[in-house]
Amino acid sequence: MAIELKVSEVKMGEAYVGKWGMVIDQDMCTGCQACVAACAMENNLSFVGETDSGYGRSMHWIRIERFWEGSYPEVKMTPNQPMLCQQCGAATCEPVCPAFATVHSQAEQLNLQVYNRCVGTRYCANNCPYQVRSFNWRDYKRPEPLPNQLNPDVTVRRRGVMEKCTFCIQRIHKAQDKAKSEGREVVDGEFTTACAQACPASAITFGRVDNPDSLVSQLARVHGHGVKHLEELGTLPNVTYFKGG
Amino acid sequence: MSDKLSRRDFLKLAGVGAVTTAILTGCGPASRLVKREPYLQMPEYTYNGLSTYYATTCRECAAGCGLIIRTSQGRALKTEGNANNPLNLGKTCARGQATLQGLYNPNRVRGPIKHTRGERLYDTATDPFNDDFADAKSNMDWAAATQTVADALKNNKPEEIAFLMGMAPDHLFDLVTDLANATGIQSPVRFGALSMFESRATLSKASENLFGQTGLPLFDVGGAQVVFSFGANFLETWLSPVSYTRGFSALREAQTKQRGKFVQFESRMSSTAGKADEWMPLRPGTEAMVALAIGRLVSEIRGIPVPRAFSDIDPLDAASKSGIKLEMLNHLAEMFANSTGALAIPGGAALGQSNGLAVAEAVLALNAVVNNFGKPGGVFFSALAPNQTEYQGPASAKEVGEFVQKMIDGKIKVLFVHGVNPFFELPISLQFGGATKNIPQIISFATFPDETALEADYIFPDHHGLESWGYQRVATGSVGSVLSGAQPVVSPFYDTRATADVLIAAAQLAGGKFAAALPFKDEVEFLHSKVTPLINEADGFFSAPDVNTFMAYFQQFGGWWKTTDGRSIPNSADVLNRSLSSAEAEFAGEGEFFFVPFVSPTLAEAGANKPWLQELPDPTTTVMWNTWVEMNPVTAEELGLEDDDLVSITSEAGVLEVPVYRYPAIRPDTIAIPFGQGHTAYGRYAEKRGVNPTDLIGQNFNEAGDLAFAGMKVKIKKIGKKKPLSRLESIMGVYGVGLGEEK
Amino acid sequence: MAGYNKKAETAHVKAEHNQHDEEHFREKHLMLDPLPRGQMNDMVMESMYTTSWKFWVVFAILSVIVAWGLFYSWGRMILEGLGIAGVNRPAYWGIFLVNTVFWIGISHAGTFISAILRVFKAEFRRPFTRAAELMTTFGLVQAGFSIFMHMGRVWVFYWLMPYPNERMLWPNLHSPLTWDLLAITTYLLSSTMYLFLPLIPDLAMARDRSTGWRKNFYKILALGFRGTEGEWSHLRNAMSIFAFAIIPVMFSVHTIVSWDFAAATRPGWNSSIFGPYFVVGALHSGMGAVIMVLAVVRGTMKNMKYFIRPEHFDAIGKLMLIISMTWAYFFFNDYMVQWYGGDKWTHMLLHFHESGPMGWMWFAMLIFNIAIPWAVLWNQKWRSTPWIVFIVGLLINVGMWFERYIIIPISLSINRMPFTWRLYHPGVEIPLGIGTLAFFILLYMAASRLIPLIPVWEVEEGQMAHELKKFGRETVVTVSELE
Repeated sequence: MAIELKVSEVKMGEAYVGKWGMVIDQDMCTGCQACVAACAMENNLSFVGETDSGYGRSMHWIRIERFWEGSYPEVKMTPNQPMLCQQCGAATCEPVCPAFATVHSQAEQLNLQVYNRCVGTRYCANNCPYQVRSFNWRDYKRPEPLPNQLNPDVTVRRRGVMEKCTFCIQRIHKAQDKAKSEGREVVDGEFTTACAQACPASAITFGRVDNPDSLVSQLARVHGHGVKHLEELGTLPNVTYFKGG
Repeated sequence: MSDKLSRRDFLKLAGVGAVTTAILTGCGPASRLVKREPYLQMPEYTYNGLSTYYATTCRECAAGCGLIIRTSQGRALKTEGNANNPLNLGKTCARGQATLQGLYNPNRVRGPIKHTRGERLYDTATDPFNDDFADAKSNMDWAAATQTVADALKNNKPEEIAFLMGMAPDHLFDLVTDLANATGIQSPVRFGALSMFESRATLSKASENLFGQTGLPLFDVGGAQVVFSFGANFLETWLSPVSYTRGFSALREAQTKQRGKFVQFESRMSSTAGKADEWMPLRPGTEAMVALAIGRLVSEIRGIPVPRAFSDIDPLDAASKSGIKLEMLNHLAEMFANSTGALAIPGGAALGQSNGLAVAEAVLALNAVVNNFGKPGGVFFSALAPNQTEYQGPASAKEVGEFVQKMIDGKIKVLFVHGVNPFFELPISLQFGGATKNIPQIISFATFPDETALEADYIFPDHHGLESWGYQRVATGSVGSVLSGAQPVVSPFYDTRATADVLIAAAQLAGGKFAAALPFKDEVEFLHSKVTPLINEADGFFSAPDVNTFMAYFQQFGGWWKTTDGRSIPNSADVLNRSLSSAEAEFAGEGEFFFVPFVSPTLAEAGANKPWLQELPDPTTTVMWNTWVEMNPVTAEELGLEDDDLVSITSEAGVLEVPVYRYPAIRPDTIAIPFGQGHTAYGRYAEKRGVNPTDLIGQNFNEAGDLAFAGMKVKIKKIGKKKPLSRLESIMGVYGVGLGEEK
Repeated sequence: MAGYNKKAETAHVKAEHNQHDEEHFREKHLMLDPLPRGQMNDMVMESMYTTSWKFWVVFAILSVIVAWGLFYSWGRMILEGLGIAGVNRPAYWGIFLVNTVFWIGISHAGTFISAILRVFKAEFRRPFTRAAELMTTFGLVQAGFSIFMHMGRVWVFYWLMPYPNERMLWPNLHSPLTWDLLAITTYLLSSTMYLFLPLIPDLAMARDRSTGWRKNFYKILALGFRGTEGEWSHLRNAMSIFAFAIIPVMFSVHTIVSWDFAAATRPGWNSSIFGPYFVVGALHSGMGAVIMVLAVVRGTMKNMKYFIRPEHFDAIGKLMLIISMTWAYFFFNDYMVQWYGGDKWTHMLLHFHESGPMGWMWFAMLIFNIAIPWAVLWNQKWRSTPWIVFIVGLLINVGMWFERYIIIPISLSINRMPFTWRLYHPGVEIPLGIGTLAFFILLYMAASRLIPLIPVWEVEEGQMAHELKKFGRETVVTVSELE
């Protein structure tokens, strides 16, 4: 009797379809930081000052990475790579939290960070291969009257708590509530995350990846050469990158 | 109308169908301000947990992007782009996002102040990151302030009264212009560091020379297939960055068309050049030569007789002088010649040199070879704004210099400053600071305690942009003609007053021709008078039967614009038959390094007081909260310099101390410093942070009168101290520094 | 006793001349050098009572260090946040966890000596099981401190415990940190009990020989132990159950600690050999610590030169040598497989360990953990000399601390996102680390005044079991089975 070896048929992540997802076109991203600023304004991110930000303690939930290839004069800047929480389908941050402070939302297929449950072991951040979590190393202050602009839909975090990109879950919920009260489904493009909304190059697109008609799904199909970062780890990320160029 | 119509009726009238509709509130002067109310007395349109959205216009730069501000209980919470506004189509840049940190900035001028020049406006003894410390208290009331302005108008000869104004807002500029025209006071001088670094005057002057028409060219990047940019940092701060970024995005779009190519010619890789397929680090000053050489090669490839414009240039010579190999020039020319949509853009530092005008002409002429004028992916003249009949540019640096000369000569007795911070934005070498000593009275309308306010006799703070009425003409970037409208989205946080209101009230007090010049009850009535002519214009985004309804829509949608293409086609008939200069630029000062100051894409000229803008990493170096000097690693090695080493940089105009960033994408003979930091006032987050590279810029102009800011040579000396720069990037991971050996 | 000490110090010299002499055996081996029970008990009591002024000076200095290093600094950190420490992105874990692992490692030696050597009936263990067990308990206390310091919001530490609450929230049993907490708690409780059980007869002994508050203190702790046959039998049963049961607990604790790292998806951590590697590493540092403690106890406490003799240093020295070799084997195994695996990030990390800015630490680790023990401990004379093994033990501990430092903050500096690589510079971790060290010593010093540091009854038991017999001209040691 022949032994069937189906190893080659098993492809990681193939069976997995998330719910909310993002595509980022690195060829379009100009690195202008509008997404970073928009995220900071929407999600009540603290600014940490010169010393702490230079010591790897900035609170950016999204950062734009760029590297260099070659040396002068043939030097090239690699395509800007906005790095944010990839909202993994099999997130490495989730199982390691001893307090269930970072959990998977079954309804939204997102990685949630429950600020008021977080005890600050920082294991999740260590275990995040994308290094997109930021920790409140201090009670970063906003002198009056800066707190006036705080978004009432987003918790203000205190010291000792981990935080990360939420895919603007407050916006997701708002749109869902609105759609529900109007007796309909959320329409693709009805709302978007703060970063995608701001992006002047429209490099970031957000939507339902489980809906083949949504813009994100269409883009993913049209491009066809999307990359998911560190996919080999089996994290099933929900953010797809197009390198382009 | 406002008296008869309730808001609820109005909402019905306005219709709230579209998803992104801005909900209008307040349509008349009486109810124009949204008050922060306790829950018990909440306005009827406010529901717990539901936000109110207002359309207005961004005032962080002069481009005039439309914003939607999310507010709740009278607090502004979030900036979003106005999707209706044809300029930015719902998008914003980082500075637009951070405008709220200006509105709620801990250091604002909180009320009218009679001030002793040089006296500090706030206390900086405590830690800027913690808790509150008091701004200078207002020490007069607005009645006295208005009287002061009235006296200043009345008690001086009209020709001795001058206004120095920023690039925004336009309605105030119109008001002052009207006042000036009617009373004989000096026409307001408009200036901004951005316009200086954009070299706007050069661009419009070159257009005038080549096409016989002044105007700001519009480059349809999105429609092009191949874009050659000579120094134009259009993805950062140049002219209308959000709109140009959209164009870039369309250029790169590759699903429905071929992905467009982009080549940037400049000595230092800006974040715009970082996105280019090819970066051509040419020798500063040879831009005109390279453009003409490419023009010649293109006409040869296309098999047309070499036009006069390119006849004098020898490509080999251009190649050797610029440092770009001849094969590369040939390759580029082929790329340009064989494309169906080739476009060449002059701008930025390439024009800020002694031969800037020649560079602009040469690059514009390159467009003439492929004759893309008026075609998709080509060159247009920007649409004039709805209430504009001809292009009005800001003052060039030379004109500002002339203005300063007037000040020195004592021809100005009272100076009003609004929307601009010349003490910071103008190079020291233009001597504005010294000239103010000859002016008996300086009245600043600064919202923030900036360097200029610090040197004023009175500070009568204007509202923040989000508390203000007004409009901004979209100078370039949109297909149609756009007037972006501004309205207060929150009630004024402090005891500030709209400068237009102050001037109107003061004019009334001054009486006579002043009162006659501004016969309005207040700013809103003035705005009504300005938009009234638009009611009857055709092709509007909306139309209305009367001015009140029009104004209501104007506020609801955030302005008024035409739905038709308002761009005009430059007359290119004569372009190639002119003789164009290929002379190299001359550089002022002795030194071995070309000096390229550039505007920080995240801070620009007025962002330094917003903490989140400070904490945004620079797109190229990822440095936060400070200034650096970019230097090629090879040069640094020769000078024995490492990252974070402080160096002193000496030009003919001044000396700066600044830490080194070893930047791999800059010519070894060039150094670059970002502009945006180096404030000595302007609030706790801006002050005493970094340096201001304009201190190194000498008083040299190009033929169009723009400052030759990139036309300096400087010397570098190691100091022997270090100032660690705060970087987001890992110096180990990105550069392999500290990993033991090269990565 | 003064005359005795001199004898002990010249034992080696004499031994050479007198290989088979009975006297030689006596001098060399505690088990063959019995003293009357009463005298031995008095010696132990005397060692507890005799407190010189130097003790109080050191005690006071350490108290100040603890107050500053541990309580003031920690209080400040709780109020201001972890920002005053050196942790950052990507080195989210720093010296706090280094110290946690270090102290848990130290604590392993106690159990190893007392349980494993007890189970295997290694007779030389008898005089110092207590000293080692105390290290276990006090080391675990420091580990607990360190891990709580590490938490961002330590004031809600009880959320990590399974306790009934109205929201039905339970700790996440998927998390290695939860396993860790359970394992450490189990280990702390069982090792404390295991410390206490053999202590009962000695406490009873102390109770019978003390007055005043001490009598009451011992009375309560001795649980009414009178020394009847039934009590002894119960005690022996309990101890043998514990001795067997605590061994898997000990192995599990450090294995689980290693899983904190091995279970994570990080280059350099994701290694299947981390479990035994960490256990052996723990024993390495633990044995080093035991030998240091014994050297100090022998040198500073009264009457201890009788109980702790060069033979003990010799025996522990041999163990240290074996453990050092085992550690080297595991280290090489781990390194080899990681290197051979060819993962680019792991390569980067291994390279960074050796030639990065902290490369000196990597080499120091190898020298302290392998080269020096191997160079010194092969020689019986050297490994029997207290000050030499003290230094070797100290270096091993430094080396093992370096090892944990390399595994935690240095390895965290390198990850799969080169854009975030960053070095770690300790901040308030340093006073806090010094504070835990001082607190450990302080607890030990306090304990040495309160409980008999030598399990007298075990020594007596051993001495009863050992006998010197003459077969012809040969003198032979015989041991009878007592239990």
